[in-house]
Amino acid sequence: MIGTARKAGKLGGTMVELLRANVLANFAYYRRSRLLIAFALVFLLLTGLTSLPTFFIKSGVQNFNSLQEIYSTMNMFLLFFAGGLGLFVVSSHLRNRSLKMVFTKPCSPAVWLLSAFVSAVAVSLFLNLVVLASAVVMSFAWHLPVRAGLLFISMDTFVASVGLIAYLMLLATLAHPAIAVTFALIFNADLFYDAQMWAQSVIRSGNSSFGLRFLGRLFHYFYLLLPMVHAFGKKTESIYSSLRVLHGEWRYPLFSLGYALALAAFCYSLALFALQSKNHI
Amino acid sequence: MIIAEDLHMHFRRGFLRKRVHALNGLSLEIRDGDFFALVGQNGAGKSTAMYCFLGLLKPTSGKVQVMGKTPGLGSPHYEGVAYLPEEPHYHLYLTVEEATRYYSSLYGKRVPDKTINDILERLGLAQFKSLRLAKCSKGMKQKVGIAQCLIHETRLLFLDEPTRGLDPLAVREFRETLREIHQRGATIVMNTHVLSEIEMLANRVAVIANGTVVAQDELRNLLTLDRELYNVTFEANGVIPDYLLSVERLGDVVKASVPKERLYDFMDFTRISGLPVHDCSLKKISLEDSFFKIIKGGESQV
Repeated sequence: MIGTARKAGKLGGTMVELLRANVLANFAYYRRSRLLIAFALVFLLLTGLTSLPTFFIKSGVQNFNSLQEIYSTMNMFLLFFAGGLGLFVVSSHLRNRSLKMVFTKPCSPAVWLLSAFVSAVAVSLFLNLVVLASAVVMSFAWHLPVRAGLLFISMDTFVASVGLIAYLMLLATLAHPAIAVTFALIFNADLFYDAQMWAQSVIRSGNSSFGLRFLGRLFHYFYLLLPMVHAFGKKTESIYSSLRVLHGEWRYPLFSLGYALALAAFCYSLALFALQSKNHI
Repeated sequence: MIIAEDLHMHFRRGFLRKRVHALNGLSLEIRDGDFFALVGQNGAGKSTAMYCFLGLLKPTSGKVQVMGKTPGLGSPHYEGVAYLPEEPHYHLYLTVEEATRYYSSLYGKRVPDKTINDILERLGLAQFKSLRLAKCSKGMKQKVGIAQCLIHETRLLFLDEPTRGLDPLAVREFRETLREIHQRGATIVMNTHVLSEIEMLANRVAVIANGTVVAQDELRNLLTLDRELYNVTFEANGVIPDYLLSVERLGDVVKASVPKERLYDFMDFTRISGLPVHDCSLKKISLEDSFFKIIKGGESQV
């Protein structure tokens, strides 16, 4: 009994050490990846350009609108960037074949993949906190009340980034990063939701041909199958514009987290299977 | 230490998914403590065989066992295993120190800073520890790979073309380090094209052609494959026996090879004709000669 416990303890310790080593290496990758740094600079530049007119505004209402706009833009960029974190950490290691150095040691693909996910999520969390802090600073600077909506949006973005990171990590194990990005942009639930709505509206307006009904069904199934970025986006839309959160709305980030974790677990399992089945690591 | 039985590995490549047979029934045995070299032409299947031993590839059929277990990606049985790949397969974004620490930590134990610093000092990497691997020479990268072997008392080391692109000084240093690791009791499996290196380091060799082992033996046995030939240099008076091989005339002096079974005939010929013999010696064979002979034989068999 004691022997088994000791063995389990040793295994746990080994696992923690392996995770730690891989996460630290991935952080070094993020710090030094020119591609990610270039993306970050472009996003910062675009955010800067968006916020430029606000320096010439004196009205409180306009300041609030600017804050809301800048914060939404930054969160959108954060989401893109988080996807990039998951995509590049997998694709770059696969493409330069450095995983040979990892998998020829007692470090399994399961541990490596988990560490890649954890490190991408950790960086995403850090960036979310930085953006949230900058929004709070802007609120103080413009003498605006610090709205709870800022925290809500930050939480919502972070939770969405968890699912997106896992989804893009999966795509990166299956295909070239360019193909993975194209696939993620074309095959996303929001696009097929809109397409489904369009098909239904055309059918309601009198055109109920077989082809259109078939397309409507197809779009519906794609919408159900593909992962959603904001699982409760329709219900939380108003928070993004008003930055006000009603008491009952705080449950949505929790529901989203449940969805994101389930999606992440599914993507992780598939990515692990794909990684282990690869002929050329 | 490693047993491979009838390994077959097939890939599908290209737009038409053409079937490529990388291994065709490769069988070999590497014993504990061997310095084993895999030799063969480009595309013979050496790297594929090594990847099968490392668990990086799953053979289409056949059986492979490393230290009594079937190899797999990141297997917990790789505690004493290290692999030094060809140049580009390192984490190039890490610094020398970070990479040494990272590769050493992948064995599941945290390595103290002092141990890392001592190893870097010993391998002459201390002054470059903040340099990223992307900016390091190949020799320095190989030393980083070697550092993990020295930290963890490697039992089984795989080397994939380890000296390709190294300068002569680095090759010599590298060779010395390999000897040291081998003397500590490690089994080393090396895949290389440099036959002179094998002659200096390996004790057993497998020659691979078309995905199968065409010869596997002790190095000393492979080096005596052609012992039946003798090199002779003598002065000729015009008549040259037809059993002489590779005849080369330099004025009156003739250089040639004599098959062992005709050596007494040749000696009788020179004695009766009164021809002075300047040299008669056992033909020394290099691994290169043996290699070409084996490859030629192997190809004709295949």
